[in-house]
Amino acid sequence: MMFNLLNKEIRLAAHPNLFVFALMGILVIVPAYPYGMVFIFACLGPYITFMYGRETNDIYYSALLPISKRDIVKSKFLLVCLSQMVSLLISLPFTFLRIIILPSGNPAGIEANAAFYGFGFLTFALFNLLFMTEFFKTAYKAGRAFLAAIIPAALVVIAMETMVHFPMFEWMDSTKASDFARQLPFLIIGIILYALGTWTAYKISAKRFEKVDL
Amino acid sequence: MDLLAVQGITKRYSSFTLQDISFSLPQGKIMGFIGKNGAGKTTTLKSILNMVKLDAGTTQMFGLNYYENEQRCKQEIGVVLGEIDFYKQKKLFSITDVTKRFYRAWDDTAYCKYMDAFALDPQKRVKELSSGMKVKYMLALALSHHAKLFILDEPTSGLDPVSRNDLLGLFRQLVKSGERSILFSTHITTDLEKCADLVTYIKDGKLLKSAETTEFIESFSFLKTLGETAPLSIDEIMVRTEKVIYDV
Repeated sequence: MMFNLLNKEIRLAAHPNLFVFALMGILVIVPAYPYGMVFIFACLGPYITFMYGRETNDIYYSALLPISKRDIVKSKFLLVCLSQMVSLLISLPFTFLRIIILPSGNPAGIEANAAFYGFGFLTFALFNLLFMTEFFKTAYKAGRAFLAAIIPAALVVIAMETMVHFPMFEWMDSTKASDFARQLPFLIIGIILYALGTWTAYKISAKRFEKVDL
Repeated sequence: MDLLAVQGITKRYSSFTLQDISFSLPQGKIMGFIGKNGAGKTTTLKSILNMVKLDAGTTQMFGLNYYENEQRCKQEIGVVLGEIDFYKQKKLFSITDVTKRFYRAWDDTAYCKYMDAFALDPQKRVKELSSGMKVKYMLALALSHHAKLFILDEPTSGLDPVSRNDLLGLFRQLVKSGERSILFSTHITTDLEKCADLVTYIKDGKLLKSAETTEFIESFSFLKTLGETAPLSIDEIMVRTEKVIYDV
């Protein structure tokens, strides 16, 4: 069932830009760039896909399939989480590559390191919690949901990019193995918050969507 | 046996109420569901399908409570929402390939047969299909998973007379075996005289009558004017029932 739902989302519901924005993980190879934009792009993809879904009547089509309303919500979460994970996974080889070819670091903002990924998970958790739950109040108002979610998500990214310019957070802006141990808790907490936040978002969204009149 | 039995469906909106709608559709029959625009036809069909949350009422489908057995019942129904286009940019084969995985009884041979019979090219995009072809494509999908009950919302609206006649002929073909039933909403009442075994009429969210076509027509004899002897057409029944005199 999960495969069928995801297959439907990828082949019928997803806007091509979802994949394009997921590919933006590659940006971590740019010598000087605020890498937090990778997360912002990964948030834009689902928004455009949900707008596209409104145009293609995707929710109506899904409602006619032999699945429950809860499954419709599940399929959207599967797609969004997949695109977010792809975005991070794609960036991963380039973070290693840049250590070799660009050892001088990123002067524009945070390095692509464990703390960066921790913040990424945190940004996505916040986005999912706000965007998905707001969207499934109506299964229609994607714009309002996006605004409600992208502002707090962007604030997390801005905070991350700003923090690393203060000497006290220098360890967060490092790719040295010695600083990795200090960054690792960030990553672990980020992953835990992402899992918890997304699961909570799914539960709330499913409950809200049950009450929506299509 | 009734394939569909709707009991006391009620849905309240701020400015409209669908009130206590009850009717049943036996196996092998076509039911026309009529009412003027805004009478609540689509809301009724969506209520039956659990697309809108009911305030009261139940739906029995294939003898099962639909709301408790939704996924199981959906395996055996075909739905066409006439006014809604899906995935206009996608090719038919893509939609089919995704859709078929959800149905246990999907039959590829039957699918090819119906696509051929309806002259549908799987390589075409939805936007390239005429309104009639879109309905036929949805019917082909439903027939390919051996649907027994077809719920069609305004499948003939927007069609030219030839396509409409063609589609109505197809509906009769579908129920000929006595296994399948069709519930279709329309405001084009001439469609009903051509193919409906039963008629259900709603007005302003309330059920006026649900009966076999001849009984339905007879029950509105009180609308005849003095000297009229011939039975009223369904068109005349609707026009006379809905008549409004404007005080302007």
